[in-house]
Amino acid sequence: MQRPIEKPVGARVEELDTPALLVDLPRLQANVAAIGASAGGGLIRTAAWIHKTPAIAHIEVANENVIGIAVRGVAEAEVFAAAGCDDIRILRPLVTASAKRRAAKLAESIRVVIEDDGIAVGDERMLAESIAVSARVTSVPEPGRAIHDCGQKAIGRDFGDPQVVGNEQLQARASSAEHGVITYPTDEHPFAIGDWLRLRPADIATVFALHDFAFAIDDGRLAATWPISARGAFQ
Amino acid sequence: MANQRPGRVPMIGTPVQDLDTPALLIDLAAMERNIGVIASHYADKTIRVRPHGKNHKSPQVLAMQIAAGSTVGGVCAAKVSEAEVFAGAPACGNVLIANQIVGADKIRRLASLAKRVQTMVAVDSLRQVELLAAGAREADAELGVVVEIDTMMRRGGTRSVADAVALAVAIDGAPNLRFMGVMSHQVPTIRSPNREQRLAEGRRMMAGVIEAKQAIEATGLEVAVVSTGESWTYDVAATLPEVTEIEAGTYIVMEVPYAYMTEFRFAARVMGRVVECPDARTAIGDVPIDAIGAPNGLPTLEGAGRSLDGIKVTRLDHHGIELASTDEEMPLQVGDRFYLLTHQQDVTMNRWERFLGIRNGVVETVIEAPARGCVH
Repeated sequence: MQRPIEKPVGARVEELDTPALLVDLPRLQANVAAIGASAGGGLIRTAAWIHKTPAIAHIEVANENVIGIAVRGVAEAEVFAAAGCDDIRILRPLVTASAKRRAAKLAESIRVVIEDDGIAVGDERMLAESIAVSARVTSVPEPGRAIHDCGQKAIGRDFGDPQVVGNEQLQARASSAEHGVITYPTDEHPFAIGDWLRLRPADIATVFALHDFAFAIDDGRLAATWPISARGAFQ
Repeated sequence: MANQRPGRVPMIGTPVQDLDTPALLIDLAAMERNIGVIASHYADKTIRVRPHGKNHKSPQVLAMQIAAGSTVGGVCAAKVSEAEVFAGAPACGNVLIANQIVGADKIRRLASLAKRVQTMVAVDSLRQVELLAAGAREADAELGVVVEIDTMMRRGGTRSVADAVALAVAIDGAPNLRFMGVMSHQVPTIRSPNREQRLAEGRRMMAGVIEAKQAIEATGLEVAVVSTGESWTYDVAATLPEVTEIEAGTYIVMEVPYAYMTEFRFAARVMGRVVECPDARTAIGDVPIDAIGAPNGLPTLEGAGRSLDGIKVTRLDHHGIELASTDEEMPLQVGDRFYLLTHQQDVTMNRWERFLGIRNGVVETVIEAPARGCVH
């Protein structure tokens, strides 16, 4: 279990212990508001398996075009149902007696959909441009090279390397499990030990599969700390 | 701020075939064997093993490693938050954080940790020495410090012997810091090296740490700790009298690229089930990429009690794993189980809240991994 240092609402984003999964709250809200337009007036279920976070699901289902959420397996459905979601599509076929029994149990109290009922399932665009991971430079061991504290275990590399927010031309690599590396021309000195930066992950679902908490940020300040409750709910 | 630890905990005694999938299974006999290989290799030597906690994230596994003997009686950690979890384990008497720790909050935590358990941390710059000394002084703590020497990784670590010596002298002169020695980490550059290549590479890389040690000693400073080596060089380090401890982690459950270390057994498998057969040659399993991680390539398939020769992993994404048969027919049908071996075990272990310890086909113990996700 991740043990981030707790900060009060209103704390500056740079004060959050790194690496931290940051959610740009106004951007997320704008993305959700745009669902109505893109859905063409039709209803959708959002792909909550991507963020695994009940607080984000609640923002999504508050939109009148969102009828419910979609998850991958029964365990994710159980977490979201316990958090108050009442319309859940389970995407993975249920093949074991145990999975069928648990889904039937859930269906006693909420709407559980296990086959395509014609309602579209959303995708990662709901979270586009709203997700970043903060990092701090821990070492500048040679010219042209900075090492920071956000490696594969904090940002993933299953779908590629991250980008440095605001400095996309730099080469960033999540080359180690515990360290990230940024390289740049040796005559430039963009980083010093202790510098704070943000990285845009190559894949959003991977980042939510790694962290236990997401930090909602509004205007550079902490708005809320959200448990990623369905992280690790694989079965 | 609270988050419950998700995932399901089966009853002890549950047969493997009745477990919900996907699940991370530990072959207890294989893991015990791996621990035993390392412990017995060092039993008659002065060099000690410092088990790396990042590879299993579990104080329960660390306790097994320490109980087997030949260890430093402590742990190697990659992060402060990870060290905090292990330092709470009764068996853990000391901690080496083999990384640079930056940030006022983290240094405060580090200094506090040093008051409860003997703690060492690695530095590679004078700036870190200043920051650590200030933090340790504020907490009235004494913090052990080692100089990280870069021997090939090009991450942190000093790039010259002169820099290493200057840092050692600065640490020795800094209040509340105690200069302890040097450390370095290496990975092989040759894919599947043979024994000769492995020994030559290991010796060549570790020579850089030993050179720094000797240069620091020439200034009159005592170098109590030379911490280096990994699972792939555990037997090399044992031949170098200057090395005091080896940082070994991968051996505990192993990974496919390390298969050439034949004295160790694969002890971790992600078990999945086929949930769909879209055509005669293809099966879709319930293991999503985030349950195993694949930064170093697709996992290797193993049959659960039968040969799966001729079946390949053809895709792995967030919804599952695709297995394709080169023969006419796919032997795996809906409901059938299969096993996956990882190509980077610490990334895989870090996806799971707990592992299921299996012996004789049933769950013998549930191994909690409370340092999972401790990336701070």
